[in-house]
Amino acid sequence: MKVAYFSPFPPERTGVADYSALLAPALARRVELVIARRGRTRAPRGVAVSLYHVGNDPDAHGWIVDALRRRPGIVVLHDVVLHHLVAGLTVGRSDGHGYLDAMERDHGVVGRLLAHGVLDKRIPPLWESRAEEFPLASFVLEHAAALVVHSESAARLARAAGYEGRVHVIPHPAWPVPDVAPERPAGEVVVGCFGVVNASKRIPELLRAFASVRERRPRAALLLVGPTSPGFDLDRRLQRLGLASEGVVRESWVDERRLWGLMAGADVCVNLRNPTMGETSGSVVRALSLGKPIVVSDLGWFAELPADVALKVPVDGSETAVLEAALELLVTRPEVRGAMGRAAHELAARAHDLERVADLYAAALEEAAGGERVADEVLREVSEAAAGVGISGDDAEAAEIARRLAEVELGR
Amino acid sequence: MRIAVVRPQVPFARGGAEIMSDRLVEELRARGHEADLVTVPFKWYPGARVLTQAFLWRLLDLDEADGRPIDLVVATKFPSYLVRHANKRVWVLHQFRQAYELDRTELGQFGESAEDRALRRKVQQLDGVALREAARVFATSQNVAERLRRSTGLDAEVLPHPPQELPYRCEGYGDFVLSVNRLDRAKRIDLLLEAAALDSALEVVVVGDGPDRGRLEELARSRSLDGRARFAGRVSEEELADLYGRCLAVYYAPVDEDFGMVPFEAFLSEKPVLTTTDAGGPLEVVSDGRTGLVVPPEARELARAAEWLRSHREEAAAYGRAGRTIAEGVTWERVVERLLS
Repeated sequence: MKVAYFSPFPPERTGVADYSALLAPALARRVELVIARRGRTRAPRGVAVSLYHVGNDPDAHGWIVDALRRRPGIVVLHDVVLHHLVAGLTVGRSDGHGYLDAMERDHGVVGRLLAHGVLDKRIPPLWESRAEEFPLASFVLEHAAALVVHSESAARLARAAGYEGRVHVIPHPAWPVPDVAPERPAGEVVVGCFGVVNASKRIPELLRAFASVRERRPRAALLLVGPTSPGFDLDRRLQRLGLASEGVVRESWVDERRLWGLMAGADVCVNLRNPTMGETSGSVVRALSLGKPIVVSDLGWFAELPADVALKVPVDGSETAVLEAALELLVTRPEVRGAMGRAAHELAARAHDLERVADLYAAALEEAAGGERVADEVLREVSEAAAGVGISGDDAEAAEIARRLAEVELGR
Repeated sequence: MRIAVVRPQVPFARGGAEIMSDRLVEELRARGHEADLVTVPFKWYPGARVLTQAFLWRLLDLDEADGRPIDLVVATKFPSYLVRHANKRVWVLHQFRQAYELDRTELGQFGESAEDRALRRKVQQLDGVALREAARVFATSQNVAERLRRSTGLDAEVLPHPPQELPYRCEGYGDFVLSVNRLDRAKRIDLLLEAAALDSALEVVVVGDGPDRGRLEELARSRSLDGRARFAGRVSEEELADLYGRCLAVYYAPVDEDFGMVPFEAFLSEKPVLTTTDAGGPLEVVSDGRTGLVVPPEARELARAAEWLRSHREEAAAYGRAGRTIAEGVTWERVVERLLS
């Protein structure tokens, strides 16, 4: 079965590109995969179904959405909040009307008025400040023959956005752990945080919590790996908390191999955020594979991680205090770190196994390509048998048969 | 308790699953339960027939019978576990293997068309739906449990079933290797015949019947095994116990078998089992050098192993006795207790 595969790939530096570099070879062992050239918006000839990877970045995913709008297919929704993408594909292409329409479709007259405010520069761009309130997912969902999401919470968000088609929840695949030596900064216990450094990744809260822990555990170290977002003054925050000269080790963008080495050297991995755009974190999945205890925010996919794998920090007024307690526990109790790490490793092997994930994708693709014909055949045969004994569409018996078919997902 | 044991029935066919479910009903009755067997014919081809025939189970009403409630339903193999019941327990003997590990092998059923691929997925999906609604799910072996976990994400409790009751005995270690199995390709009797072709001292007795019999007999003829390979067909229980009692060892090497009762039957006759590294379920009880010999699935390796057993009869006997200890631990008493607990 031939499948057209639309996605960014390395050397593009996006999480979805890394994801596809991992998934595509495993999937190609199960179906005939035709990788669409970047920018190509027409599916190659002879494909049974197309798979579109959609994220929130218009540069990386704009052409993919264009292709999707030409030919519906299975959409892998890496983010459920797509306002930034939609803005890029409308406002970014001088299509203000498109943006107004998208806002009105999902959020009614109020949405349209707000969009006018944005276009007239009366209010700040919603995609920068309030995207999660206006996800604009139906811009993509209305073209999706079926959906793949990575978490139950993303599935709920898609349903809440009005999507009624088939939704497959397929976990993020785990990378095989490369053979790299752990790279470990000085410190008795190293807390690592990997990803963009900014407020939505709760870096201010992390710094405050860590500074408090460090007052009692001066030999603990915090490793921050990832580029700093523009406008986020990390240095000033470090200075204010007395962490500028010691306690915090800073690495900006690092290549994949070094990332693994640094993560392998950390004792604890912290991955916080608020808000969430319905995404999963490749960083957390790597940490699971490495068997690291994890601290996450208690929302979205992160809240679905088992309690024996991750300590969850609420995104409310208690955030910093709970985070501090979590760090204190993990910094001081190696046996807790060990138990959580083992559970993390086991979870990665069980739920995030690449071959299993590729199987689930193949199942979704095969269902999308031939499922309707199978459903038709089943319904035809059952209807004929029912009609043969005089049961017609309006009978109570027909309703019972329909109910039983639906129970085992054989109906439509 | 009023218990319905449910099982699909392929008309004119009888194998391990049929023997096991009949026996389960007897064992439940022996313990004072009111038990009965409920069967529905099953045909799995052509096209979507596998789904529509499976769906028949969904239309059954087993909440009560003759005005009295049925307390428990024990479903055994696909598609009987689609049946509806508030207290449904599934003891998985077989999923529909063509949709799983036999797919894209010569034993598979589904082709490469989009419809066939989707059909296969629908069977898997049906399994997921039907098994998830069960109150408890058991699997006859670790192998079956592992397959279930991979395909549906469900964790099943492993519950092996005892073999059929025969007058088991050991009357020494003769010169022949015994095969007891339905004669179809998946059971890989041809491997044993090829081994006999390589070892002129190896004698085999093949018990059982099935669609592959003609091909196997022709293979034996073409390898000039006349006199050394005997096709005994279906035999009586007494004959079977006699063959088990006199053989040197029992050959049992289907492709990735779910479980199989034959190793336990061999063990109860104190006979070692000769199997292959890819046999699946049997490997849970056949350990190389402890209860039998486990070799790569190649005729030459098998011939070598049979020759070794012929020249090491004391070891063969020791393996058989070690197997007997394992087999004696699997009793209906324990099975019924766990199924109903």
